Amino acid sequence: MAEIRAEIAANVWQVVVEEGQMVAEGDEICILESMKMEIPVVTEVPGVVRELHIVPEQTVQEGDLLAIIDES
Amino acid sequence: MSDQKHDWGPLVGDLKARRDRALGMGGPELVERQRSMGKLTVRERLDLLLDPGTWVEYGMLADHMDAGLGDRFLAADGVVTGVGGIDGRPVAVAAYDFTVMAGSMGSVGEDKIARMRAHAVRQRIPMVWLLDSAGARIQSTSGSSFAGAGALFREQVAMSGVVPMVAAMLGHCAAGTAYIPALADFVPMVKGTSSMALGGRHLVKAAVGEDVTEEEMGGSAVHTKVSGVADLEVADDAECLQIVRTYLSYFPAHNGERPPRRDTEDPIDRRVEQLYDLVPTAPRRAYDMRKVVAAIVDDGDVFWMKPEWAKNLVTGFARVGGQPVGIVANQPMVLGGALDVNAADKAARFVWLCDAFNIPLVFLHDVPGFIVGSAVEKQGIIRHGAKMLFAVSEATVPKISIVLRKSYGAGYFVMNGLAYEADYIVAWPTAEIAVMGPDGAVNIIHRRQLAAIEDDDERTAKRLELAEEIRANIDPYVAAGHAQVDDVIDPAETRAAIARGLRITADKRVDRPPRKHGVLPV
Repeated sequence: MAEIRAEIAANVWQVVVEEGQMVAEGDEICILESMKMEIPVVTEVPGVVRELHIVPEQTVQEGDLLAIIDES
Repeated sequence: MSDQKHDWGPLVGDLKARRDRALGMGGPELVERQRSMGKLTVRERLDLLLDPGTWVEYGMLADHMDAGLGDRFLAADGVVTGVGGIDGRPVAVAAYDFTVMAGSMGSVGEDKIARMRAHAVRQRIPMVWLLDSAGARIQSTSGSSFAGAGALFREQVAMSGVVPMVAAMLGHCAAGTAYIPALADFVPMVKGTSSMALGGRHLVKAAVGEDVTEEEMGGSAVHTKVSGVADLEVADDAECLQIVRTYLSYFPAHNGERPPRRDTEDPIDRRVEQLYDLVPTAPRRAYDMRKVVAAIVDDGDVFWMKPEWAKNLVTGFARVGGQPVGIVANQPMVLGGALDVNAADKAARFVWLCDAFNIPLVFLHDVPGFIVGSAVEKQGIIRHGAKMLFAVSEATVPKISIVLRKSYGAGYFVMNGLAYEADYIVAWPTAEIAVMGPDGAVNIIHRRQLAAIEDDDERTAKRLELAEEIRANIDPYVAAGHAQVDDVIDPAETRAAIARGLRITADKRVDRPPRKHGVLPV
């Protein structure tokens, strides 16, 4: 199980995956928007998206949980 | 022998036996244990580090000479010292031997290393430590004779910036042998078998009650990804020693020399058309700056420093037209390339390193600025950001800047904007240099006007309209019109532009008012 957390205070711009979806290492989970930039958040492990804790337009703080991946 | 005039046989034989005993290190059992941990022996390491046939050893026949340790034999007193060649240039080496009393620092061994430090400074040659040592030899130094100890660190500080210093981490190192890398320029760590910590596992348990392994506390994952104390994680001893050789290939032997050029077949005026594919023209879209750097430099070769730490900024050594350069570049893939406390530290350290050894700097700008907000203020972003400002301002090596896309606010300054004695600064057609982006500026400049509009949609529309007015003034041709950038270039000409910049700054001189040193905002 791998937790994906926000590395910066940001707005959630797009959520790219759905719960239950298979992801490969390096796949985008969501795209945040902060400091005038689109900031892609990628998974460092392959697996299945078990939980998504974000919806578009939501604000996240540094360290907030974005998603949980069940490592395969 | 018998037909010779004098009987030297027993004397020469005794000498040979003594040498063989030293070469046996801590004895077969401990040598076997060293190998079973996946580590090479100290002698094997020296063979891989140095050019064949160049090794001149100092103090092979040393022993502990400590009455308290009785008649126990400690080969070379636990550390092998001498001078050998790397790519035909001499380096001074101190290599701790873990098979001899865990590589602990004995007084004779430390005297040997002091001699190497002095030699390195007198000869103006790099110093390399191969660290595999438990730290102080507590059995010998547990009393208050410690009051006289510690010269090794002061001497190392005095060497800093005079000769290159490398500390390769090849074992679990605590206390004394953790401060040696802290004061060195470059610290590679072997994954799994090396660590560094101020207190070893047993001391930590006794002093603060924490149960933790060496690996968890100070392994390569901690120091290359979290703390930023080390520079590179490598797979094994052999890779580590090769990495030390490669690192030194970018460096002069001392601060009075230029770094060595290396011939390349890569044409100096090669058009880098991959950049059209790699970099989106849309300013908010991310891309991998590492690929941009590799596309520009000679043969795609980059020696990344601290690649797994503060990844929002990339630093590394490369060559352009054979000339070694230090690259400092924002990484839009991570945190949008915005600067935080660690990125500022990473950049400052790297700039000081290059400046100390006459390695020209190339800055690739794509930076939305320093991260703002309460979280980073608590981390001291002003103090850390000032470090980068300080280092870039102080650097007197040739400084070349390429503004790829955004370069906003203090981000533009610390990336070596015009005012920072940039010797050659050019912009891509996508460049946006300004105190801040239009979306931020509009809310400040037109705050009252916008607040007066009651309808939300109308206010949003007005905000976008006013932002576009501001954006029209954020244009590389405005900067070029004021001659605040030296040229606007086709991205494909970036390599040629850097080469031009290096050519015209080769004899740069900067004179500053004399001082002991600045007051560093650390």
